[in-house]
Amino acid sequence: MVILRTENLTKSYQMGEIEVKALQETSFEIEEGKFIVILGPSGSGKSTLLNIIGGMDQPTSGKVFLRDEEITAYSEKELTEYRRNKIGFIFQFYNIMANLTAEENVELATEISQNPLPVDEILEAVGLGERKDHFPSQLSGGEQQRVSIARAVAKNPEILLCDEPTGALDFETGIAILSLLRKLNRDMGKTVIIITHNSDIAYMADRIIKMRSGCIIEDIINENPIDVEDIVW
Amino acid sequence: MVSHRRKHRLPKIDLMLIRMINHSKGQFIAVLTIITMGVAIFTSLNMASVNMNNTVDAYYKQNNFADLFIQTVAIPYQKVKQLEDINGVDQAMGRITLEVPMITDNQNERVNLRLITTTGDENEINRSTLLEGKLISDSGREALLIEQFAKARGIGTGDEINVQIRGKQYALEVVGIVANPEFIYIMENNQSILPAEKNFGICYVTEEFGQQASGLIGSYNELLIRYDVYADEELLIDDVENALDLYGVKQTIKREDQLSNAIINQELVQLNNMASTIPILFLVVAALILMMMLSRMVKKDRIKIGVLKSIGYRNGQVLFHYVKYSLSAGVIGGAVGAVLGMLLAGAITRLFLEYFHIPMLRVEFYYSYLIIAIILSAAFCILSGLIGARGALKITPADAMRSEAPKSGKRILLEKIPFFWKRLSFSSKMINKNIFRIKKRTLFVMAGISLTYAMMLFSTSMPSIMDQMMNEHFKEFQKMDYNIGFTSPVHYNTVRDMEHLIDANYIEGKLEYPFELTNGNKKKAVNIIGLSRDTRFYTFIDNKGNEINLPRQGVLVTENLAKALDIEKGDLIQVNNYIPNREDIIVQVKGVIRQSLGMNAYMDIDTMGKLLLEKNVINGVYIDSSDPNINEKLIKAANIGPVMSIADMRSAYEQYMTMVNISIGIMVLFSGILGFSIVYNATIVSLSEREMEFSSLRVLGFSKWEIFMMIVRENNILVILGIGFGIPLGFLMSEYSAAAFSTDIYTVDMTPTLTALVYAGIYTVVCVFLAQLATYRKIQKLDFLQALKNRES
Repeated sequence: MVILRTENLTKSYQMGEIEVKALQETSFEIEEGKFIVILGPSGSGKSTLLNIIGGMDQPTSGKVFLRDEEITAYSEKELTEYRRNKIGFIFQFYNIMANLTAEENVELATEISQNPLPVDEILEAVGLGERKDHFPSQLSGGEQQRVSIARAVAKNPEILLCDEPTGALDFETGIAILSLLRKLNRDMGKTVIIITHNSDIAYMADRIIKMRSGCIIEDIINENPIDVEDIVW
Repeated sequence: MVSHRRKHRLPKIDLMLIRMINHSKGQFIAVLTIITMGVAIFTSLNMASVNMNNTVDAYYKQNNFADLFIQTVAIPYQKVKQLEDINGVDQAMGRITLEVPMITDNQNERVNLRLITTTGDENEINRSTLLEGKLISDSGREALLIEQFAKARGIGTGDEINVQIRGKQYALEVVGIVANPEFIYIMENNQSILPAEKNFGICYVTEEFGQQASGLIGSYNELLIRYDVYADEELLIDDVENALDLYGVKQTIKREDQLSNAIINQELVQLNNMASTIPILFLVVAALILMMMLSRMVKKDRIKIGVLKSIGYRNGQVLFHYVKYSLSAGVIGGAVGAVLGMLLAGAITRLFLEYFHIPMLRVEFYYSYLIIAIILSAAFCILSGLIGARGALKITPADAMRSEAPKSGKRILLEKIPFFWKRLSFSSKMINKNIFRIKKRTLFVMAGISLTYAMMLFSTSMPSIMDQMMNEHFKEFQKMDYNIGFTSPVHYNTVRDMEHLIDANYIEGKLEYPFELTNGNKKKAVNIIGLSRDTRFYTFIDNKGNEINLPRQGVLVTENLAKALDIEKGDLIQVNNYIPNREDIIVQVKGVIRQSLGMNAYMDIDTMGKLLLEKNVINGVYIDSSDPNINEKLIKAANIGPVMSIADMRSAYEQYMTMVNISIGIMVLFSGILGFSIVYNATIVSLSEREMEFSSLRVLGFSKWEIFMMIVRENNILVILGIGFGIPLGFLMSEYSAAAFSTDIYTVDMTPTLTALVYAGIYTVVCVFLAQLATYRKIQKLDFLQALKNRES
């Protein structure tokens, strides 16, 4: 079943004095419960795509549908509701609140969502059960990213959007994070979309969308995704 | 596993706020202090003001305070009751008032008493409140003494006082000490700027004694009138004056013009003004600081705000998150300030009553002020929060993923002067760039310094201005050692008799009588003073600063009189003559003169006598004398009324200065706290804004001290600029206050003095220095590696 669909997405914006065409006529569909990697070098438009899908940015033209709802037609308020209940974000630099503990960071998100998952269970699931009362400054990068994942998952969203989730982590930690994301995808049935420039990660995905200069250049269905543990970069 | 940390029930976004406040305690407390002080001043002064008004009103009502005072030459008993038939008159009462010297052991001391007759009746107008002893019985030489005077001189019940009336000495037995609504504030006349409690008092005597001593048999020389609720004051006064036409109405004084009442009202108005302006100043400063802090915070929290929005927090929730910061300062400061203010209100009211001598106290707590104060400070803080944090609205959730584009670097104007720019060291260049680039913060700090300086300039100028005012009046404007009034007019040859009596360098006769001056519908009762045209005791300076002589015809009027009557040089005014069968006259204003104390008109003594009174009379003299026994000699002379020694007046003034000094001290403290908070906050904000920059400098090899010195030098430039603007601001403030302070009683020329300029400067610099010490501590703690590692903290 298609959970997400885009139609001719185009985005251009002013960066200083230059007009940047970040996205050009991009269309694709994503099945529910899949693990998807959007692959591309920096400037390929993948972050822009993620922002638009995540309801954080509006396209210059084109449409995005979540199931049958056109989110590109949403008002500012509806977009906020969409981010609040349907989408979980995971950032490259974790972006967790420095003056809240791991648990409180997760609660920051669950407090405003409609049907959150139990915070304790999620923290257990991401492996932070014992570290939940620590502040970010007391946690390692991997642990911080786990907090960020717990925060995104605990809202019980339809889609997890991850922006270079391993970009700031060392290899082992990165693998652990990817395996966590895969586990959440398999156990909880969450659709996961990862954007990255790291092509090695792509082998673990159900589907790989390659982008360059704002366009999709390749869309591959991976029949035999490899185990996360077998990834090497 | 059991969690050791206490679970917070609070929404996490609020928890973040609380931890944020806790993290920036110093700044938060600085703002909180200003708000608390502003609100405390607001509640305490407003409540004290209401309490004072109520107390005075209640006192007036309880003691049946007169609505109208009429001084006449003499009015027979029977006539008084007839006045009650006039429309609007509820009650009329007559009494005899005499200004007499009191004889004391110290012969060099001049003490004047105003004897006022009393019936001791239950519903007497201006009834006294007995504080000690008993009321006087119908006959005998018993007397009641006003509290302030009795206290100042240490006179108690049972003591005897001796007075000299028309050349005869009388002994009076003080049987009671009283307070009276007519003399809450005792001043001999409107020429006395200050109460001289030791040298002038009020003494109540029986009517029998009053008549006997004054020679006013069967008559009164003063009337008191109470209105009924329907009274039309102007109509009533006309009717009463007509009815009294034959008896020589000297002066009609409405309650609002009655000296004690007028001064109290002025004090209350000033209290009211202070209650509304000072707190607003504090709140405005607090609001500015909050605005600056929040706008800085929002800029710094760009990613955090983006994340909050991407998680699903609404714009309003994010904005309110920041507004709550200022709101909590507003509410906490408001609540603490209001409670503090309530506690202070009672004390302030008591202080005022102490000063005014009102034998009762109406202190109530007006809880409405508590609410108003909190709402007021909350409103200020919400507004400043909204303005300061409005930048949070522009941040999009996608900003959470974007790193900040570098700020567009611009060249500053100074760089376009290569000759100058090339000569600056690297750090000087940084300093100059900082000052000129970040205009808003620069302006704010500068404004703070200017304000601090201006307030200090104003506060420190006050004592020397008062001093100068006294000097101007008593040394330059009038130069006599003694100003003596006679109880009745005499031929001017008396001057020669006096020359034999006392050892004086120079004696000059004068005429001084109250007249009502009118210009159109504007009226003012003032003393017209008649002087020899070659007077040695007065120097008249017109409002352009030129010395002018007393004209043969026409009058000179003081600036405040000119203003009150809306007249200028060349205009014609009418002098209403109260003396029976004498015509009202029209005179020309020949000049407007400067006079610090009092409101008067001056005429040539011959012209004045001829037109308004009788030829060749005087009713007082000015004396230039260093004769130490002058008092003793004068007391023995018949017909001597009030004697004013300039030296006594000055010493009374010095007493008053202690009070002025206290309020100046408070103002100085306020200016200090305000200035300190502004400079401290601005520096801290500037510091956190430039954490990255300083960290980079640290990596480049700059020491903490060098970085600190950069901030110091930056602030130094701002101090110089700030003081530069502070000087004209201080002058403006003084000018404005001069207009506000000037009254019928005094006209103040508040030009700040050079010493004040210097003191204010020193003080401002100290303030900035203290703020910088706090900054130094912050720089010591700056973790530059951490700042560089984190993209944003």
